[in-house]
Amino acid sequence: MQNFFSLILEPLREIYLRFAAFSPNLLAMFIIILAGIVIARIARWIILKIFKTVNFDSWSDRIGFTSIMRKGNLWEKPSIAVASVFFWLLIIVTFMAGFSALRIQAIDNLVSQFILYIPRVFSAIIIIIVGTLVTGFISRALLISAVNRGYPFSRLLSESVRLLLIVLFLAMALEQLQVAPGIVISAFSIIFGGIVLALAISFGVGGIEAAKKIIEQKPEPKEDKKKDMEHM
Amino acid sequence: MTDFYQTGIITTLHKLGNPSLERLEQELRDYSQARPIALVLPALYSEFEGPAMPKIIEELAKVYYLREIVLVLDAASEKEFQRVRELMSALSVELKVIHNDGKRISEIYDTFARNKLDVGQRGKGRSAWLAYGYILAHGQSDVIALHDCDIVSYNRELLARLCYPVVNPNLDYVFCKGFYSRVTDRLHGRVTRLFFTPLIRSLAILYGNHPLLKFFDSFRYPLSGEFCMITDMARANRIPWDWGLEVGSLAEVYRNYSPRRICQVDIATTYEHKHQDLSEIDPEKGLMKMTVDICKSVFRTLASEGVVFSDGFFKSLSVTYARHAEDTIAFYEADAAINGLFFDRHEEAKAVDAFTKAIAIAAHVYQENPLGTPLIPNWSRVSSAIPGILDMVKKAVDEDNK
Repeated sequence: MQNFFSLILEPLREIYLRFAAFSPNLLAMFIIILAGIVIARIARWIILKIFKTVNFDSWSDRIGFTSIMRKGNLWEKPSIAVASVFFWLLIIVTFMAGFSALRIQAIDNLVSQFILYIPRVFSAIIIIIVGTLVTGFISRALLISAVNRGYPFSRLLSESVRLLLIVLFLAMALEQLQVAPGIVISAFSIIFGGIVLALAISFGVGGIEAAKKIIEQKPEPKEDKKKDMEHM
Repeated sequence: MTDFYQTGIITTLHKLGNPSLERLEQELRDYSQARPIALVLPALYSEFEGPAMPKIIEELAKVYYLREIVLVLDAASEKEFQRVRELMSALSVELKVIHNDGKRISEIYDTFARNKLDVGQRGKGRSAWLAYGYILAHGQSDVIALHDCDIVSYNRELLARLCYPVVNPNLDYVFCKGFYSRVTDRLHGRVTRLFFTPLIRSLAILYGNHPLLKFFDSFRYPLSGEFCMITDMARANRIPWDWGLEVGSLAEVYRNYSPRRICQVDIATTYEHKHQDLSEIDPEKGLMKMTVDICKSVFRTLASEGVVFSDGFFKSLSVTYARHAEDTIAFYEADAAINGLFFDRHEEAKAVDAFTKAIAIAAHVYQENPLGTPLIPNWSRVSSAIPGILDMVKKAVDEDNK
């Protein structure tokens, strides 16, 4: 009979001992997560205060960041959106740190992979931000220049260049994030190469006369302006 | 039918005989192929619950020459906004309803505020201005027409006659103001009859024939809310957001265009809309508030043209106006008598007394702060301050209307 009871109690005792050994890890996880949430909230509050002080929203409006957010149908204030991104990043990091306190091999691997991936995410964000600024600057400069030269399809040209640059920077960001890098590079090469080939063919075939003229054009000799003057 | 007399320095287009509405609309349909028309309707939700808006929708459903209608809805909840969209879906024209209290449009207003662009308080001026922004961003229309949404006696002929002078390329007008008589069993339109016209004529007596005063006096109904203009004007003109909207808009038109390209057109035989109380005790309400705002706008516009105002000038103005307005009451009493209309001379005299007080208040406010005009910046300046703002407005409106 005693054996029978020990057969029942032994597994329960085993579970209790395992739980007793594991519970400090669990407690540590809860404490890390709770502390992380509090820290994330404080960080969000501080970031919002700093953004308010430096007029981040107004600056975002002027450089076109707000416009990009609206195109993506995001209608929060830029400062709130950025602060929220930081908040959620901290929450994710907190959960990762919390889970790693459990000391489970599978979770440890996942956390280390995530930590190794973070620099790539930041690089991609920086590429997108710089890309947006560069794209806006180049397409605007091109539009002004083309309009001043009287080119009839100025807006089309400017928008085409903007689109090409967006494709280029998006491909760079995706490559950085290692999202199907092979496919991204191949797709980018095909699209970009295709566009350049299409332009070359359209200029070479459609504008054959114009191309001929440009190639055959000889520089005009500089006339001496003084010769124009015959009388005072 | 009116006479064919041409008043002042702008063209007056009368309603002579019985012009065919079908012919007018057919011509508008042809001309609008080259010069597409947008109609702006600044409305409150309460106007959909009254008799005016259902009638306007019914009439607009028969109009086929408009490219788009932009209705700016104020004082409406999300549910009311959806209800308005449902009611307006009877129209065959492309329609956009701007929900002024919606999340996206509120964020647009916040964007103006944080970039130090004062677009004023809610009201017809601000609503119309935002609608112009959407039309500029959409880039589909060359002509903008605007009329109020409280017109109980609405007829689609009003819209056709309002649009025609600007849409017809052979006439070459850039701005057209509507006029009408406001008569039922009595004469209405006290602010125009007893305040604005006598005020302008009193200013002309004191200052001499200033071209701007001549320009104001050329309009038969300068405070009418109905007008039509080319879209370029919406980009360049600044408008006030308060009751000085009509006067301020006329002043901007005067500043930017030759009077030869401006006209007024007889748009309705009768025009009936909601009436305001005089509120002679409280200058922050009713017609008193309206007249103070208009008066301030007139003073500031004239000052911007180089007119110098002094204490003595304002004292003389009150006396000259009061005398002139009393004479005007006598004119209208005779006019009412011959037409068999009810005329309450005492009420008219009370209105003149209140308006005299309003001039004194406006003069005081003007002397305290001559630069205080609440003009909304024009869209050229706004686009310069916030480069992508027109796209943002378009996106907000389009998303709200999905």
